[in-house]
Amino acid sequence: MSLFSFLGTLEIGFIFGLVAVGVYLTFRVLDFPDLTVDGSFTLGAALAAALILAGVNPYLATLCAMFGGAVAGLLTAWLNLRFNILHLLASILTMTALYTINLRVMGKPNLALIAEPTVLSPFESLGIPNMYMKVIFVAAVVIAVGLLLAWFLNTQYGMAMRATGANPRMAQANGIVINEKIYAGLALSNGLVALAGALFAQTNGFADSTMGIGTIVVGLAAVIVGESLLNSRSMLVIVFSCILGSLLYRLAVSVALNADFIGFTTSDLNLITAVLVGLALILPHFRREWKARKAAQGGAA
Amino acid sequence: MIRCEHLKVTFNAGLATEKRALRGVNLSIPQGEFITVIGSNGAGKSTLLNTIAGDIRSSAGRLYFDDRDVTALSAAARTRDVARVFQDPLAGTCGDMTIEENMALAYGRGNRGGLRLALNERLRQLFREQLSRLNLGLEDRLDAKMGLLSGGQRQSVSLLMSALQPSKILLLDEHTAALDPKTAALVMDITDQIVAEKKLTVLMVTHSMRQALDHGSRTIMMHEGQVAFDLSGEERSQYGVKDLLNLFAQIRPDGEELDDDKLLLGT
Repeated sequence: MSLFSFLGTLEIGFIFGLVAVGVYLTFRVLDFPDLTVDGSFTLGAALAAALILAGVNPYLATLCAMFGGAVAGLLTAWLNLRFNILHLLASILTMTALYTINLRVMGKPNLALIAEPTVLSPFESLGIPNMYMKVIFVAAVVIAVGLLLAWFLNTQYGMAMRATGANPRMAQANGIVINEKIYAGLALSNGLVALAGALFAQTNGFADSTMGIGTIVVGLAAVIVGESLLNSRSMLVIVFSCILGSLLYRLAVSVALNADFIGFTTSDLNLITAVLVGLALILPHFRREWKARKAAQGGAA
Repeated sequence: MIRCEHLKVTFNAGLATEKRALRGVNLSIPQGEFITVIGSNGAGKSTLLNTIAGDIRSSAGRLYFDDRDVTALSAAARTRDVARVFQDPLAGTCGDMTIEENMALAYGRGNRGGLRLALNERLRQLFREQLSRLNLGLEDRLDAKMGLLSGGQRQSVSLLMSALQPSKILLLDEHTAALDPKTAALVMDITDQIVAEKKLTVLMVTHSMRQALDHGSRTIMMHEGQVAFDLSGEERSQYGVKDLLNLFAQIRPDGEELDDDKLLLGT
């Protein structure tokens, strides 16, 4: 792998670290499997690109993208909480609706950001080569978000959110308004995913209506890889294991795609991802069965 | 402290499965009184507790805490006054979170501070002090996952958690029923200690006649969604388990057999 493609892998790994922590918030903290992210990632990219092309300040555009993602999360939560639609289905509905909305936001299926200013522009004059600068910038953003999120999950509000997912009845008996926590959690999660989309569009120079497909699986893959590496009760370690999981996942994929003798092409990415995530989910199951069998044999001997 | 006025609860109203769980309960509980609640399955004991806690909305009647009408308040809003311990030891705590995190959650009941850190050294010290009262060695395991504790330990911690914030009402729903007799006795000891110390108004549902008479100062028997008997003072102190069983027979004039094994055996 060349240095250039290695740096590119790190950059995407960090950006998808935001998706991973967003997915961690819904799947693990709130126990709310949310597929909205496939749509909100693209929404973030689409809003940022369209606003920048319209002459809006890129930082403001990125903020608007996050806000848009948060609204998408709120919509999913509302469908689930207000009308009792199954969480998976509610999020698929939002995701489907977002596909059209993203096309409307962009006006066409693909927007290019070539000469336009981006959030990276102010740092281009620092004299650091562009390919390093991009990685440092996204790493700084993602690490800052990770620190904030770990802190948040240890605040009274964040802990109440964790209790809502872990034991809603107990949460309620301790005065926690659980619906409010689910709304807040989904808004936060999808806001982070939209931020990832906005950063992706600006570092890679385009937004595309199909770029969000499979985001949920990639995020989940990162969460699972991180969980299997580091097992901790510390929120700081858990949040950063999601980000680390995302980096490792990207590196693994990149190695697989670069190994010419295997003959993979970029279009094989989704199959590789699905197989990797599938394996990560299946292996612990086998390990448990194997342990149980071994324990049974040990008991018989 | 608690006043129920003609409280009614009907499940599945209008359907074939309609169940009138509470049929006009009138009950007045003064400040600091410890009431034990007995009755056969389906008599409405748990429904009464859940209605007071706000988990179940009453279909008619009014509920007052300290002359304040709380009938329309949500369960979360009522937790300012009400703390509770469930029958299932797994229900009252979060198994995935640590002991100190669980206690921090309970500490936040009634006055959630939002974006302040939920734990600090001062609180950890307080939690250690409280846990050391249990004599279970848990004060040294603040960062252990709750899920690692036994049912009795979890129930004991739940009790401590219910007393971390000054509340006025404690609702105990058969909180020792899932424990072995020795652990149950320990948990009841802690219950009596906390109740006496915090001067709480308590409603304790129990299946054990012995427990119902040995603890608290007043015993009510529920039957078919109503308070069938209300014992207190001199009269109650002279009652034994046998007398309670006789009372049961009286409120079932149709000669229906007492078929609740738990009730008979739970001496």
